[in-house]
Amino acid sequence: MAVFDSPQEAFGILRPVCIQLTKTQTVENVERLQSKLHVVSDSALQDLQEYVLFPLRFALKTPGTKRESLVQSIVECITFVLSTTCIKKQDLLQELFSELCLCLSSPNSQQSAPVSEELKLAVVQGLHTLMHSAYGDIILSLYQPCTLPHLGFAISLLLTLAEQEKSKQIKTSALKCLQVLLLQCDCQDHPKLLDDIETKQLGDLLASFLPGISTALTRIITGDFKQGHVIIISALKVFYKTVGFIMADEQLARIPKDKEKPSVEHRIAELMVHRDANWVKNTGDKLAALIEKIVEFVSVHPHWKARMELIELVQDLLMKCRQSLLKSVGHLLKVLVGLVNDENPDVQCRCNNVLKNFADQRIVVESRALTDILSENLHSLATALPRLMSSQDDQGKYSTLLLLLGYLKLLGPKVNFVLHSVAHLHRLSKALIQVLELDVTDVKIVEERRWGPDGLAESSSSLSEPPLFKSKSQRKYFRFFTDERIFLLLREICRMLGYYGDLYLLVDHFTELYNESVIYRKQAAMILNELIAGAAGIEVEVLHETNSRASAEELKEIITSILEEYISQKNWYLVTSNEAEGNREELTMKHSDLQTITSGVHTCHLVPLPSSSELSPIVCSMNSNIWQICIQLEGIGCFAHALGIEFRLLLMSALYPVLEKAGDKTLLISQVATGTMVDICHACAYDSPRDLINHNADYLVNEISLNLHQMSLSSHTPIVLEIMFQNSDAGLLPLVEDVIQDVLFSLDQFHDERAASFLSVLRTVLAALARWFPEAKDDKQLQEQNFRKEKYDLHQGSATLGKGFAFTTPAEEIEQFLLDYLRNKDVADGNVSDADNEEEQPLPPETEMNDVCPDVEASLPVQTQIAKDVMERCIHLLSDKDLKTRLKVLDVLELCVTVLQSHENQLLPMVHRAWLPLVHRLTNDDPLAVLRAFKVLCTLGNKCGDFLRNRFCKDILPKLAVSLATQAPVSARAGPVYSHTLAFKLQLAVLQGLGSLCKKLDLGGGDLNKVADACLIYLSAKQPMKLQEAARSVFLHLMKVDPDTTWFILNELHCPLLYEPPHPSLHPVSLSGMAKPRTEYTDNVLLLLAELQG
Amino acid sequence: MCRRLSLDVEKFQECTRLAVCQSLLFLPGRCSWISLPVMALAPPSPQFVLRGSQSAVNTLHFSCRSKAHSPPLLFSGSLGGLIHVWNLETRRVDTTLDGHAGQSVYWVKTLEGQHLLLSQGRDLKLCLWDLAEGRNAPVDSLSLDSVGFCKGSVLTEGTQGCWLLAVPGKDMDEPASSSGPLLLAGYEDGSVILWDVSERSVLSRLACHEEPVMSLDFDSGRARGVSGSSEKVLCVWSLDEQQNLKVCRTQELTNPGIADVAIRPDGKILATAGWDHRIRLFGWKQLKPLAVLDYHSAAVHCVAFSDPGRPGEQLLAGGSKDQRISVWSVYNQT
Repeated sequence: MAVFDSPQEAFGILRPVCIQLTKTQTVENVERLQSKLHVVSDSALQDLQEYVLFPLRFALKTPGTKRESLVQSIVECITFVLSTTCIKKQDLLQELFSELCLCLSSPNSQQSAPVSEELKLAVVQGLHTLMHSAYGDIILSLYQPCTLPHLGFAISLLLTLAEQEKSKQIKTSALKCLQVLLLQCDCQDHPKLLDDIETKQLGDLLASFLPGISTALTRIITGDFKQGHVIIISALKVFYKTVGFIMADEQLARIPKDKEKPSVEHRIAELMVHRDANWVKNTGDKLAALIEKIVEFVSVHPHWKARMELIELVQDLLMKCRQSLLKSVGHLLKVLVGLVNDENPDVQCRCNNVLKNFADQRIVVESRALTDILSENLHSLATALPRLMSSQDDQGKYSTLLLLLGYLKLLGPKVNFVLHSVAHLHRLSKALIQVLELDVTDVKIVEERRWGPDGLAESSSSLSEPPLFKSKSQRKYFRFFTDERIFLLLREICRMLGYYGDLYLLVDHFTELYNESVIYRKQAAMILNELIAGAAGIEVEVLHETNSRASAEELKEIITSILEEYISQKNWYLVTSNEAEGNREELTMKHSDLQTITSGVHTCHLVPLPSSSELSPIVCSMNSNIWQICIQLEGIGCFAHALGIEFRLLLMSALYPVLEKAGDKTLLISQVATGTMVDICHACAYDSPRDLINHNADYLVNEISLNLHQMSLSSHTPIVLEIMFQNSDAGLLPLVEDVIQDVLFSLDQFHDERAASFLSVLRTVLAALARWFPEAKDDKQLQEQNFRKEKYDLHQGSATLGKGFAFTTPAEEIEQFLLDYLRNKDVADGNVSDADNEEEQPLPPETEMNDVCPDVEASLPVQTQIAKDVMERCIHLLSDKDLKTRLKVLDVLELCVTVLQSHENQLLPMVHRAWLPLVHRLTNDDPLAVLRAFKVLCTLGNKCGDFLRNRFCKDILPKLAVSLATQAPVSARAGPVYSHTLAFKLQLAVLQGLGSLCKKLDLGGGDLNKVADACLIYLSAKQPMKLQEAARSVFLHLMKVDPDTTWFILNELHCPLLYEPPHPSLHPVSLSGMAKPRTEYTDNVLLLLAELQG
Repeated sequence: MCRRLSLDVEKFQECTRLAVCQSLLFLPGRCSWISLPVMALAPPSPQFVLRGSQSAVNTLHFSCRSKAHSPPLLFSGSLGGLIHVWNLETRRVDTTLDGHAGQSVYWVKTLEGQHLLLSQGRDLKLCLWDLAEGRNAPVDSLSLDSVGFCKGSVLTEGTQGCWLLAVPGKDMDEPASSSGPLLLAGYEDGSVILWDVSERSVLSRLACHEEPVMSLDFDSGRARGVSGSSEKVLCVWSLDEQQNLKVCRTQELTNPGIADVAIRPDGKILATAGWDHRIRLFGWKQLKPLAVLDYHSAAVHCVAFSDPGRPGEQLLAGGSKDQRISVWSVYNQT
């Protein structure tokens, strides 16, 4: 479409339509004009602006009722003209302004005329465009005292529209227009460069409308939820722009005290207000009420954009009108505080930014008044907190606590003003303590037990798991809430207190509470932990950096004192299980020992407590105690994090108690303690708990030794000692030497009461020794093996001979045998040639080795000395009247033998002394003891070999044989249940061990026969399968010791082959097992013979 | 600050040639004494025990009175010839000094704070160590000719860098003169002799023990000293204005053999190291038995009190043949 650039051309086109419109005012004509306007360029139209406007205005002004559609199209046309041109004359602006306003006014009433929605919209938009088309100084002419009534009319018109119309579009446009009208437009192209004086004048002028505007807007904002967030947002914007402009502290500061002489007529002057202090105060008060309403309503508005706008409102008002709106500051801050953890991340973020902004500008910190308000709020919140906590639901509690957290964050270092007031501090602490009350009715926590000693070892391998401190530890159950978020919030609150508050004061206060009553203790400890974490700045989100924080040195001092409190006798050693220690132990002993016998694996059990209803108060208090210990343990982990590497120094007092708890029988405690160890490792830069223990063994040893000296206190000491040994290396030995002596000394003194726990310590000690000094063992074994092998080879030789005789019978072999026989006979007669003699010495290195170690009383290595000392005690305790003790002693004895094996000079005398009681255990004792004793015997046979041969044959073998023989018919008859009996286990163990024992002891003919005789019956197919297998294993061993005899014995029982003599001159071989029908022994014998052959 | 120091050796004439000198002690200037009440019995358990010296501990010396940032130290000399420097904060060995060729070290003492250390060993050598900045080598040494067990004594008063050192000897070298200090020496024949060092003359001689004097200590505040010997008696003697030694009282003990005696710097407590494995504490004023510290499992060889640091933090350490050093915090409440 052609555009007419020059005014002349444009005029040519527009003139006819304008004339026509002036003559006949119809919608069509207006539309025609408008369509022509479209083809006129902006600049041309600017020149012809008044010309074009004239017919339109004329049409509007013509008296008489007009059709609405006409008015509407006229207004739209005017709007179009104004949108492309600008107004350069004041009077034109004023006239247009009033003409437009009049379109909506009914001449007779105050109410807006009952016109169509479209017209209203057109007018509002027309006004909007008009305001935008005016130049800066021109537009100001509209804001003179004399135009006050016009303005007032327009404003009230718009407000009415915004409030009462149904159409959303009209409402929003009206609000936008209002915003423009109040010169608060935020659009880009709107010129709004006002200098200070103009601003002030404008403010003075608009102040007259403030009450009306603000109340109307408040009504709009707090109106129907359903009206949609867009309107609320616009209304909020207008509200804060207006209030922020009129009540701006900056402007108010410049208002002179006295009212200026009004330069206008009296009536109008009456409308003007003077913004003096009094006015400000009154208005502030009234606004406060409105703001409170708004805040209450919008802060819970479901749409996040509305809440977002509210934040803007708060920011704007707080930035501009802190002083004039002093009364509202509390409400405004509450918004921020409440929204800082809003569910919408954008709102959250914005709110945080605003808060940061305030904090950066130190608005809160430096303004005394604000601090007062905040502390007042905090105080009233703290007062209400206990009530709220017990009455509100979780969501309510959550928001209440959010508020508390927000106040603390905002107050920052100023929180001390509040804390230094005793009343405030009491309120706050009581509230926290009340909320944090734990639910201690869970029986499971008391019941769950730890089994097996190696909980720590599992976790000590690596530090892969995250520190307990960060991960979710065992969940705590609280009486007053279930939502985990609330707990996290409470934690953050405490940390915030620790971060900003006076740490000495807080710690003192809560330590007092901690000591005051058992009811408070757990909560106070929890709070103390978090205070310290906060003070160290762990995981605290802060708004203000504070420089008043406790220094590292102070922190250390404080932590030391809390730690002392935690691990003091009365707070650390609490009753956590309701059985007397002894009973329980006995019970568990039975369990675990049976298990070690069968499978050697410890598993977890749940021993049910007696019905919990009758015990419940006790259970509760035990549960409470368990939790207290756990919280304290967590605290120690927390302290470690707070101090970092500095905590290493505190390990000298802290590590021992933690380890003590790591060995606790209650599952939860030991888990938490293990977690604490991991925490400490993280904080103090140790690779693993093992590393931690290893590096700090000296501190542990110190505590252990001191505790051993005071037996009454140290029921846990053996556990720690055990854990320490499990986790250390040989470097520990010089340190613990004297402790072991102490243990032995204590054992001597208290062997009635404490033998069990000490024996388990000794077992650990010796197991550790055996682990630490394996090299000696290796040598010995290697040597032993060589020796055995040689012997074995010898036997192999003869075995092949035997075999040859029995089966292959080549003539040369018989010849060789005879030659050997003759030579042996010669040797036996003493006719030995030198050469032969030399050959006959197969073991020179052996004897040499013995010579190398001179038989002098050199000082023994420490480990040997210890093992010897321990073994000494074992000998005494072997005949203890308590079965449990005897079993443990047997365990320890076995380990002693292992450690001592490379020192025969020490070992053999001890074995000699231990022999007699051991025989008693083996021959007439509880089957359990017999089992263990037999195991010890096997080890002894392994290590001492020949030394025991005679004793074994004399003292034990006959009895063993008898017992095997008497038990055989029983087991042969028994049903499937028999394999679960102790008798069966005993049989099995004996049969399994006997073979290798015979081999190790190198038993000779007669004794071997005894063994074979006793075991023979177990080859019967009537015996349980396992026993048959074990019996076969005995014979397999016997074959290695003496194949010929074994072959013979077996063949006596059953001989599968007939042996034809190779030469008629020889007697036929006749064995009693020959040509027997198949018997119960046949299968096993055949198996064994096949083995012997192959 | 590497200063080369030389040792002024003053050996003493052994005028009487009665016996081998067993114990030496310089008497510093006198000061007025304060009397304070003695506390009630404390539970006898050491505060902590230092382990790891790996041989019997012969001598102990505290050094706590230094700048704030350096930790309190305890020096120990062992039978194995090593000197261990224990950090009392971490309770671990900071440094190990090896300068006596594996021969027993039986006297250690610091000079001027923590950095200069004197040590005397059975290798007949007296070493001076400079420990500043983590050094651990002897800077000077002095050969001795006494093979006895007598510990040296050093007088640190006077100008800086000038000490008077007394070490046992057996012949009569000419000593350099000084400002007239007094020296107490305990002898194998059971006597204690007061020497005037500048005059090189015996001022007083007191035969108070039947057995050799093992150790002595002197409280210049009360002008009283105490000596222990291998017998069952503890002997307290006083020094009057005329420089005469007089026996004040004797204290009977349950078991014979006192290896070491030490009076706490504040003059309230006397500690003895007994061959009976026990450390005994007495009120120094009345010699009232206060406590028996029973921890060690072998003879206690030495006892030492820490320098008076902050009140309530004075430590007592006992070193024993069982290779342990027990550190006690007893009677600390003021």
